[in-house]
Amino acid sequence: MEVKIERENAEVIVHLIGRLDTPASQEIAPQVNELAEEAGGTIILECSELAYISSSGLRIFLSLRKTAAEKGGKVIVKSITNDIRNVFMMTGFLNLFEIQ
Amino acid sequence: MLCRRPGCPVTPMQSRVRQMVPHGYKSINSFIIFFLSLKDKKFIIKMAVKILSVDDETDLELLLTQYFRRKIRNGEYEFYFAHNGLEALQVLLKHPDIAIILSDINMPEMDGLTLLTKINEMRIPSLKCIMVSAYGDMDNIRHAMNKGAFDFATKPIDLDDLQLTINKAVEQIEYIKSAQKEHAQLVDIQADLSVAREIQQAILPRTFELKMKEADKTDIFASMLAAKDVGGDFYDFFPIDDHRIGFTIADVSGKGVPAAIFMAVSRTLIKATGLQGVPTNECMSTVNDILCGESVGSMFVTVFYGIYDLETGIVSFTNAGHNPPYILRADGTVEKLNSVCNLVLGAVEGMSFSSESLQLNSGDALVMYTDGVTEAENKNHDQFGESRLETELAALKGADGKRIVNTINAKVKEFINGAPQSDDITQLVIRVK
Repeated sequence: MEVKIERENAEVIVHLIGRLDTPASQEIAPQVNELAEEAGGTIILECSELAYISSSGLRIFLSLRKTAAEKGGKVIVKSITNDIRNVFMMTGFLNLFEIQ
Repeated sequence: MLCRRPGCPVTPMQSRVRQMVPHGYKSINSFIIFFLSLKDKKFIIKMAVKILSVDDETDLELLLTQYFRRKIRNGEYEFYFAHNGLEALQVLLKHPDIAIILSDINMPEMDGLTLLTKINEMRIPSLKCIMVSAYGDMDNIRHAMNKGAFDFATKPIDLDDLQLTINKAVEQIEYIKSAQKEHAQLVDIQADLSVAREIQQAILPRTFELKMKEADKTDIFASMLAAKDVGGDFYDFFPIDDHRIGFTIADVSGKGVPAAIFMAVSRTLIKATGLQGVPTNECMSTVNDILCGESVGSMFVTVFYGIYDLETGIVSFTNAGHNPPYILRADGTVEKLNSVCNLVLGAVEGMSFSSESLQLNSGDALVMYTDGVTEAENKNHDQFGESRLETELAALKGADGKRIVNTINAKVKEFINGAPQSDDITQLVIRVK
């Protein structure tokens, strides 16, 4: 699991690459949440190379959304694969995030 | 003490981070150190290596402090001195973090070999002894090595050579310490897991009899096969009145003790609310609002909650983010339940949920499961999957609840073929006889 962070203007783009399983989620949680604390703007989660997301990964998305909302920012989820889209649909997450 | 860098205050971010310590970081200290190391790679914490020199001759003290003055000054080495074995033991007692003992063999009160024996009795694998003897005193050197000395030096001490020996000892000690730390963490995790498992076992109903009017028309069976890292699945059912039962299958996002606790809380909330006979969507929104207040680290639970009316065969239900169950009809048709995918519970406060209903007729079975079934993996990382589950269910036409559950469990076990079970495998079947 790799995380690449880019900053463009007021936007932070987080590339999630690989499998976001439970151990990977624990590893990246601090980095990702730190971003949400800093930001007040938009966080884009670039998911074109996100192959798999576990429930622990979903928790990270959720807590990002919570923290961003508290700081007046928002989270955009980009380019999710079909498999990930199915997971988002089943769990109701599809309506929680702006999906591009 | 949260940060070793002088002048480094605890920022609001650090205390925020404290609230989100992921499972596995046993102390705030180690978590924050990891966190800070991500930010500033140059910040490495190194503790001084403590060396105890034991010799009745006082000139060694001067020699050592002179030769190693740079390392002493920059805090890499810290020296302690004793003049015989007895004094050495006293110093060791006062400073249990001494890593290396450099000891002469011939000393009054207690000689080096006796000291070595005493130190072995303490059983500290990360404490290394370098014995110093007279040149040519092979007997004593052999004794010392056989008693487990780490290495030896001969007088007059070659300090360049001693430096190399000390380096070697430090390397060994660091390796031993990290192995010990890993072991301790593993023991902690084992203890955690058995607590989590106990909590989970205590919650799940083990018998499936219904003491109700139409109970003989209804067949209920369930099973939960726990993964090694307790996964937080649960099922439940309870009579609401003389002709209706509430039932639940659920999956908490997370593992170990936190998931087990969240599972216990969710199950109790759903049952307590369900017992009041409220519609399924109302039950879910009530429980959701309370759980949102309880959730730590954005933990959530997927739930399929239903109310089955034994008189009419109607099941009203709400699916809150859970895997859609199957209906295995009497004629062998396998239907995937198409319904609104409401949000999981515990994620967002104030959500509203929808209630829907389905009809079960004689011979129909509602088969509920958790993703531990469909996401079970074999050694090639292939998943059991929904199509395989559908095929197996079709072959179970006419089977009772117990046979359905046991057969699916067996098929999953056969599929994974010895690969580790990464998630709880749970099923709940309600069938009209």
